[in-house]
Amino acid sequence: MKFENQLKELGSRTDEALAMGGEAKLAKRREKGVLNARERLDVLLDSESFCESGMFARAIRPEVKHKSLADGKIAGYGRIDGREVAVVSNDFTVMGATSSAINGKKIRHMREVATERGLPLIFLGESAGARMPDRMGGSGRAMLGQDPAEYLRNRRTPWVSAQLGDCYGSSTWYCCMSDFVVMRKGATMAVASSKVTSRAISHAVDAEELGGWRVHTEITGLVDVAVDSDEQALEVVRNFLSYLPSNSDENPPRVAVPEGSDDAGKILDILPESRNSVYDVREIVHSIVDRDSFFELKARFGKPICTGLARIDGRSVGIVANNPKFKGGAIDVDAMRKATSFLVMCDSYNIPIVFLVDQPGFLIGAEGEKRCAPGRIMNWLNAISLVTVPKISVIMRKSYGQAYLNMGGGRNSHEVLCWPTADLGFVDPTLGVHMLHDVSKEDEPERYEQLLAELQHDSSPWPLAELYETQQVIDPRDTRKSLKRLLDVHASHGTIGRHRVANWPTSY
Amino acid sequence: MAEITLKSDITGSVWKILSKPGDQVSEDDTMMIIESMKMEIPLSSTDDGVVKQVLVEEGSTVTEGQPVLILEI
Repeated sequence: MKFENQLKELGSRTDEALAMGGEAKLAKRREKGVLNARERLDVLLDSESFCESGMFARAIRPEVKHKSLADGKIAGYGRIDGREVAVVSNDFTVMGATSSAINGKKIRHMREVATERGLPLIFLGESAGARMPDRMGGSGRAMLGQDPAEYLRNRRTPWVSAQLGDCYGSSTWYCCMSDFVVMRKGATMAVASSKVTSRAISHAVDAEELGGWRVHTEITGLVDVAVDSDEQALEVVRNFLSYLPSNSDENPPRVAVPEGSDDAGKILDILPESRNSVYDVREIVHSIVDRDSFFELKARFGKPICTGLARIDGRSVGIVANNPKFKGGAIDVDAMRKATSFLVMCDSYNIPIVFLVDQPGFLIGAEGEKRCAPGRIMNWLNAISLVTVPKISVIMRKSYGQAYLNMGGGRNSHEVLCWPTADLGFVDPTLGVHMLHDVSKEDEPERYEQLLAELQHDSSPWPLAELYETQQVIDPRDTRKSLKRLLDVHASHGTIGRHRVANWPTSY
Repeated sequence: MAEITLKSDITGSVWKILSKPGDQVSEDDTMMIIESMKMEIPLSSTDDGVVKQVLVEEGSTVTEGQPVLILEI
């Protein structure tokens, strides 16, 4: 056969690359129920769609070439639900998937192609950080910082990270820059490993305490969803991407509406008649959006606000909903951050935003002030002012104080709808009477009741409607119908915005 | 068995305690109701587990971040 030797060499090099770090290391992962880097790609991508880039790349240092198959990071293109994506899967069996000059080139190439060709970019994270001795000294520094755009995030295409093992270095950095992050419980993520940290500070630090799933889903907010297995994580990545376009020049995909979606449900049963009672706003979300379409992000972080992707009439929407179940809906600093970053994501990928409003104001107190609450509030207002995708605000119950604006009040939305139960005061009316008039129910019951009635009327949606500050007052059972109609109007020529928050910081 | 401390996420007063030591609870079950801003706000369990100790009484005031219940998970 012609070229037999060369083809034989191609075959043997291919087999060598596919063996990754060797059977012993792969077997250990199988015993723990953890997928390897290539298996993850098989699960993530449509069948037989993976086109590898750099299978035969090796470390630049001659003494480790023999064991640096694909230089520890497997890169390439594939399809998810028929749409092209670029992907980097860290192979921990090869030198801990440590970052090096050559695999850095692979990441750069994937990043550049994804940006240039409008493809989502997916990082499957599990890496031990920078490779030593490659990164040491002057020669090590000469490998760093060669690409001034390495950490530039312009949200031209969605970036997604799945944290599937110990993540230090590049797996952490790209997670922070991603639009969506899923983490397998048991995986960890930090600036440095617990071993290095414990040595550096002479104090033992547990890996979970340093950067486990609870830390990142509940405290830092860097992780959107935590799952139990690699397979679940990869399914969640596919699900997230199904709501988004491939890039910022496209409209989000529109899908068929599941049967039963138009059933108004028990929306009136969910909202308590007593203003003192709370409820879980997610039940209202479920009754408004297409059946089973609500995909919540950061459920364990900043809980007084619920954010998530959903569909209404087959169109992707971003839901920002106050949740009275947590802190009575009073908006704390984490919720402010969460809302702001969610607005940025929706706007960058042309996803209309629906606010569902029931909030008693910002959570006040020393704790919030120490965390720069006023700064976060203004960041949010700055962001909402720059967002150009359609914004529709539904005031369900309370919308007190300055937060009225943050939740899309006034001209901060393109449409404001009110339920008859809307309350546009600055504080609960029973407190308001005392604060404004210094009148108490016990001392002057008649005058108190009169002033209370006046305050309740002033705070009702009717004066707001008379002043055209709410464009519609609707029966709550018509919320889905009203949103469908308004989305028909505002999305009639697509929802591609002006992307004025495309360079917004990724964490702050 | 690991222990988790549930903390009040709001400043207010304890209106109703709905759990006691030994109770088997699930994630999201309401452990107590705290009254604040004229609202009755549930404090939910963050995990499945067993109530080890309730650290507050009905009527007591609580501050944001104050430990109120210990759960064994």
